[in-house]
Amino acid sequence: MSITPSPRYRFASLRILRCLCLVIFSSAALAGDLSPEVAKLAGEVRGKGWIVFPARSEKGDWDLFVMRPDGSQRRNITNTPDANESYPLFSRDGSRLLYRRLARNEIIDGNRYGEQGVPVVANADGTEPRVIGGEGDLPWASWSPDGQALACLSVKEITFVDAASGKVLRTLPRHGFFQQMTWSPDGKWLSGVANSFGTAWSIARMNITTGEANAVSNVDCCTPDWFPDGTKLIFSNRPPGQKTNNGQGWTQLWSADVDGHNRQLIYGEDGRHIYGGQVSPDGRYVLFTGNPQEDGDPGESGAPMGLMRLSDAPIIGGESKELRALHPDTKSGPVLTLPTGWEPCWTFSESPASHSKP
Amino acid sequence: MKSVAGIHLLGFCLAVFVLSSCNKPSYRFTNTDKDAKIKTLGTVEVTARLVEIPDGAIFQRDLYDYAAILKYEVVAVHRGTLEKGTTIYVGHYDPWKPRSKAADQRVKLMGGTLREFRSGSLHHMALETSMDDHYLGGIVDKYFGKHTGPTYWAVWTNAAD
Repeated sequence: MSITPSPRYRFASLRILRCLCLVIFSSAALAGDLSPEVAKLAGEVRGKGWIVFPARSEKGDWDLFVMRPDGSQRRNITNTPDANESYPLFSRDGSRLLYRRLARNEIIDGNRYGEQGVPVVANADGTEPRVIGGEGDLPWASWSPDGQALACLSVKEITFVDAASGKVLRTLPRHGFFQQMTWSPDGKWLSGVANSFGTAWSIARMNITTGEANAVSNVDCCTPDWFPDGTKLIFSNRPPGQKTNNGQGWTQLWSADVDGHNRQLIYGEDGRHIYGGQVSPDGRYVLFTGNPQEDGDPGESGAPMGLMRLSDAPIIGGESKELRALHPDTKSGPVLTLPTGWEPCWTFSESPASHSKP
Repeated sequence: MKSVAGIHLLGFCLAVFVLSSCNKPSYRFTNTDKDAKIKTLGTVEVTARLVEIPDGAIFQRDLYDYAAILKYEVVAVHRGTLEKGTTIYVGHYDPWKPRSKAADQRVKLMGGTLREFRSGSLHHMALETSMDDHYLGGIVDKYFGKHTGPTYWAVWTNAAD
């Protein structure tokens, strides 16, 4: 007689197996067991500033960590066992850090993390943290290019706030924008996830002078971010029609011109949802997170992050038979596997190094 | 004899238990609560017939919270300035859930007795207008570009068949 484990047991077993795989995978990568191609990539990016990201500390809470882009010199910069921290954003000059601090028992929500908890501004190395609002204040706050203002998004409207005084400078109708809003490097536009283009979870951009908005990609997209020259957006997209994952498919990393043209697959892997794409300040590399479970990054413990050259795109990871059939002319790497985390942010500034030991 | 007395005693105890249970405070919504919510929440209160459920408008996907826009014909107006016979478009949050279980951290004020959306059924609804002033999230709108005017936001939805 065979014993069939209950679905719950099977699920738990799969989870444990996945976690083990992730730990083994990331440990191997970080232990220096790199292919020559990946080692070359690691060497290229090692000196290119710092990455900040939320990850679970050894005490189980979410803290903010910084590391070199090759994964070295990782250290905890918040160390708050009684609180969770998430959504870190370096100011464009890399001198300051904006993030949210939540109660330790509050679960970080993959669609609401920009409005959970209180907003905090600190030095880029995490020192001198200063709470700049109450619970839920300054939702989805994003730095202006000069670091003098914050653009915020609420159900009522988009608000531009003076970063020093908190004074509201001006407002705009939000035109369907509802999460993950980011100010463009040239200061003229906002990107965000919008519901006003006929499909839920469109990626859009809005002119901050006129309020006019256009869709950049409009089927099941999220976590948009700007290329440094402002001409393109990188974003997560789950193309419809996928047969894998019980017909729900996997989320992939894509880019497109800001007018919606020239959509291009950047990275995809059947078996991982790719989120949190961020282009390096020189526009040559991209960071992302990849979790086997939908919402597994904030909801659980994140997953190893990845880094690749944009010139190597598109890359398809793993076996990914269905995806490779759709995109036959792709590479398989190199992709540098980084420590576990989610929603990373990259600066070329050396400010986060202030308290680090080489 | 003993067994008959025992049965009587058991019956008495059951009756006392049932009666005393009725006096215990209940944390479920009473009819009065339901009426109070539907009569006080929102700015518009109507009874309306759900005209149809378009293909793909209602689905369940893990961790995928959204609002679906559904088309109604107004049967009776209890509050607000709508007219009987008007076609209105109403956003319902996470429509695969019974209304009593739809509220969450994103949409805290949401409820009603309706358990399932079925084409042709009558709903008694407390509505807000416009939806954009009350909801920040994904919208599945199969009527996109096919109607003008406000899209209402369903705060409370009771079955009215």
